[in-house]
Amino acid sequence: MNNIVIGVIGILGIVIAYLIGRWLNNKFPSPFTIPILIATVVLVSILLLFGITYETFMIGGKWVNELLGPSVVALAYPLYLQRKLLKKYFLPIFSGVFIGALIGVVSGLLLAKWMNVDEFIVYSLVPKSVTTPVAMNIAESLGGVPPLAAVFVMIAGIGGAVLGPIVFRIFRIHKSVAKGVGLGSASHAIGTSTAMEHSQQAGAVSTVAMVLSAIIVSILTPILVGGLY
Amino acid sequence: MIRILVVIIHIAFLYIIFRIGTWIQEALHLFVPGSVIGLLLLFLLLLTGIVKVNWIKEGTEQLIKHLPLVFIPVTVGIMDYFSLFHGKGILLVIIVLLSTILVKLSSGFTSQYLMKGREREHE
Repeated sequence: MNNIVIGVIGILGIVIAYLIGRWLNNKFPSPFTIPILIATVVLVSILLLFGITYETFMIGGKWVNELLGPSVVALAYPLYLQRKLLKKYFLPIFSGVFIGALIGVVSGLLLAKWMNVDEFIVYSLVPKSVTTPVAMNIAESLGGVPPLAAVFVMIAGIGGAVLGPIVFRIFRIHKSVAKGVGLGSASHAIGTSTAMEHSQQAGAVSTVAMVLSAIIVSILTPILVGGLY
Repeated sequence: MIRILVVIIHIAFLYIIFRIGTWIQEALHLFVPGSVIGLLLLFLLLLTGIVKVNWIKEGTEQLIKHLPLVFIPVTVGIMDYFSLFHGKGILLVIIVLLSTILVKLSSGFTSQYLMKGREREHE
């Protein structure tokens, strides 16, 4: 088989796995059935079952990968749509996201350092709170491993969405703006879809928090890694 | 058919902004990813009205709607790193969860504290 055929099969496989994930998530909505998790499990199982290497899979995958950069740039649009909300609650949103970003990176760094893990794991773990494409880019520019970063992002997203209501109840975080900031800062898109279930305002704030957090974490991380690690 | 073409043109436009972001990153030796510089650049161009919403709307909406599709190829790469999660590696999951709770708590708490004195919200 030549590379074009392998590539086309790869791309088709990615699209089909994604559609299976969406279908399952529509049927059983839960943080554990998010399309990215389902699609990853489906594809990894197939590759392992047939003994296909990741390298072969990426012959097609690298074409889809090219869309990663533009999709990060695209996040400017939801931020722009919510500019009035951002302006109205600028101080509570910006400060909340900033503190969250700072604590997220520092706690990740210190805990990983305390555990004495390899450097490339630390660099992959630190950007876990931000949306996957940005986390992968941050990890890459620090010397981490993008797939590993994506897994930590998934754990932060699913964990944060599941544990969110308990954390909010214990610490009496009840205002919808605050919930939106918390979910968007800690659990990116998965948190945002949970926030939408609380209220429309929480969802909109969470979207703003998610994009702001991506920007702030990508600026803070290189500085903090240089200073603390 | 025209709609698909519009989406492709819009994504091509986003791609150009991404390349400009990457170029700025390399020229200034920044650690901030070029994609994030592109994000900030597009946000400023939209705010100042230099770029009109209808230059990017359809393509952007489609890309964001199907965002997970775009990073599936990278997440599949985890198949080469399974061994990391054996034994002590499970602690990594606990670290991520712990740090996530701290982020949620500190960010939500800060923002709620600063909301005090502001008008009552409709929950």
